Amino acid sequence: MITSPEALRGPPGPTPTSPPPETPPGPVAWVVRATRRRWRIGSRLVSANWQMALGYRGMLLVDSFRAMLNPLVLVLAWLSVTRQAGGEFSDGDYLLYYLALPVVTKVSECWTVFTLSEEIRTGTLNRHLLKPLHPLWFHVAEHLTQKILQLLHLVPVVATLAWAVGPRLPALDLSWPRLVVMGAALALATILRFTMTTTIAMTGFWIERVENLNLVLNAAIFALMGGMVVPLETLPSWMRWVTDFLPYRYTLSFPLEILRGRITPGQAAGGFGVGAMWCLAWFVVGQRLWRRGLLAYTAHGG
Amino acid sequence: MTAPTAIRTCALHRDFVVTPKDEGLLASFRNLFWPRQETLQAVRGLDLEIQAGEMVGFLGPNGAGKTTTLKMLSGLIPPTSGTIEVAGHQPFHREAAFLNQISLVMGQKQNLWWDLPPAETLAIHREIYGLSAEEFRQRRDELVEMLEIGPCLTIQARKLSLGQRMRCELATALLHRPGILFLDEPTIGLDILMQKRIRTFLLDYHARFGTTVLLTSHYMDDVAALTRRVIVINRGRKVFDGPLTALTARARPERILTVTFQAVPAGFSPENLGRVQEQEGPRFRIIIARERAPEIAAHLYATGAVSDLTLEEPPLEEAMADLFAGDATPGPESSSTPDRA
Repeated sequence: MITSPEALRGPPGPTPTSPPPETPPGPVAWVVRATRRRWRIGSRLVSANWQMALGYRGMLLVDSFRAMLNPLVLVLAWLSVTRQAGGEFSDGDYLLYYLALPVVTKVSECWTVFTLSEEIRTGTLNRHLLKPLHPLWFHVAEHLTQKILQLLHLVPVVATLAWAVGPRLPALDLSWPRLVVMGAALALATILRFTMTTTIAMTGFWIERVENLNLVLNAAIFALMGGMVVPLETLPSWMRWVTDFLPYRYTLSFPLEILRGRITPGQAAGGFGVGAMWCLAWFVVGQRLWRRGLLAYTAHGG
Repeated sequence: MTAPTAIRTCALHRDFVVTPKDEGLLASFRNLFWPRQETLQAVRGLDLEIQAGEMVGFLGPNGAGKTTTLKMLSGLIPPTSGTIEVAGHQPFHREAAFLNQISLVMGQKQNLWWDLPPAETLAIHREIYGLSAEEFRQRRDELVEMLEIGPCLTIQARKLSLGQRMRCELATALLHRPGILFLDEPTIGLDILMQKRIRTFLLDYHARFGTTVLLTSHYMDDVAALTRRVIVINRGRKVFDGPLTALTARARPERILTVTFQAVPAGFSPENLGRVQEQEGPRFRIIIARERAPEIAAHLYATGAVSDLTLEEPPLEEAMADLFAGDATPGPESSSTPDRA
């Protein structure tokens, strides 16, 4: 048997010139080279996704309004309820929470449960599996592009609304350290949501329709336990205790709690710890499912 | 010196477990509680050995196991049992060194990004396969010229015609210059002219780079034009491996003789030569035994009345149909294993 690419070519054609033998790079050089390569591939994929997404400008605009719609409905509902029932959350708190919510949702949103599971079901995953690049890179690039584009549409809408209700919003501490911690919490939310959703998507190797499992594990519970339907601070204390240990809080509510200065540095550090552990757990489960899934994959269609 | 082995499989076997469902609502309910599982044996004990630089036709009727074999050889699915070595690698491990050496073309939507022009897909592939700017430019220009796809490069893939898309697909699949190329029905759905262009390109490319090619096609013109060696599988088993001419000789041990006389000789009796397929005035088309062909031709020329005489191989399609019909004895294709869950 043979291993070199040139040896696979038979006698008919002229022998292509072989590159001079390379000495194997050291570990540092290898990491630098691999990082540089990933960066180049990532930039090209993001660029390609941008080109595609720009072809659907109308859809992006509609999507941004859709992203605002739910929080607007919720804030109006909660403002009405709290006026009757009272509570520690003021009108301004609700307004701020539901103005920032769509931005955090957009940043952490992940839809591999639809795209990756569809690729598995229809066999279009084949095209990625045949390339010397992990198939998830294509999804990461697509997510990056879509999020940036959607935020470009969404942020001006949110800023305009914030300006309109400005006097009613509570004062915010927007110092650099807080913004940095907030950015880290957003990154954690994004990574956690991606690992969680992608792991659920990988059950598509065995389950025909993953969407239902996603509704159970990642949609309905997420809406309540993540802080979408209601701010977690307004939940009964036993429920808040539960949310501290589940992953959902760290995909949505946690960055908002930091933005609003509602948690102590110690609580924030604990939150980062629990969130990171969930990331690791989903990652490990995802890796196992991926390996076992490829064994079960039939590659039909595609 | 013999070329090194590029592809080798030994006792390759692949099963698929399926859950068949009978017609009707009752069957759906039964299936919900007591699903019946069946094991389909798609590939059974396949031994292959293909040398580097060979261009081999991989033939068989629908459901014979061709595509399943290609998927195992390219690392998309693992075998149930048996061994595979492609370019010195076990394909299912999908190491980068292996994936850099192969390409699989299945249909016209394998590589191209649907909403982007092919030029962009080529640029993406350049990064994925780590080609230098110079390598990329040279290879892209070469493929663009050979496949005549210059005008298509800047048009969105979804707006290209089937033929243009197929040629762009080939360019993308070959950009990293794979040592081994798996082609699954590369001319399917294309008109005759486009089929010919693709065949000409593949011949040209193979002559230039000596790539090992394993080709499946239902178009026998593809097989006849591109390959000398064919491997035929039916019901997952190899039923033939050898030169194309030997395949037709084995399946149809006859040749077609067409003779036109200036004037039909007195006492000429075509039935004595073989089975008369067609007669039109002084022109006879007769199916004759392959081994008698030289003797019969000499005898006819000796009459001095022949104005034209040709000997043809029987059409490959017919040879294949005969081969599959001969191998159509029911085998242990599936074993039913009711599974109560």
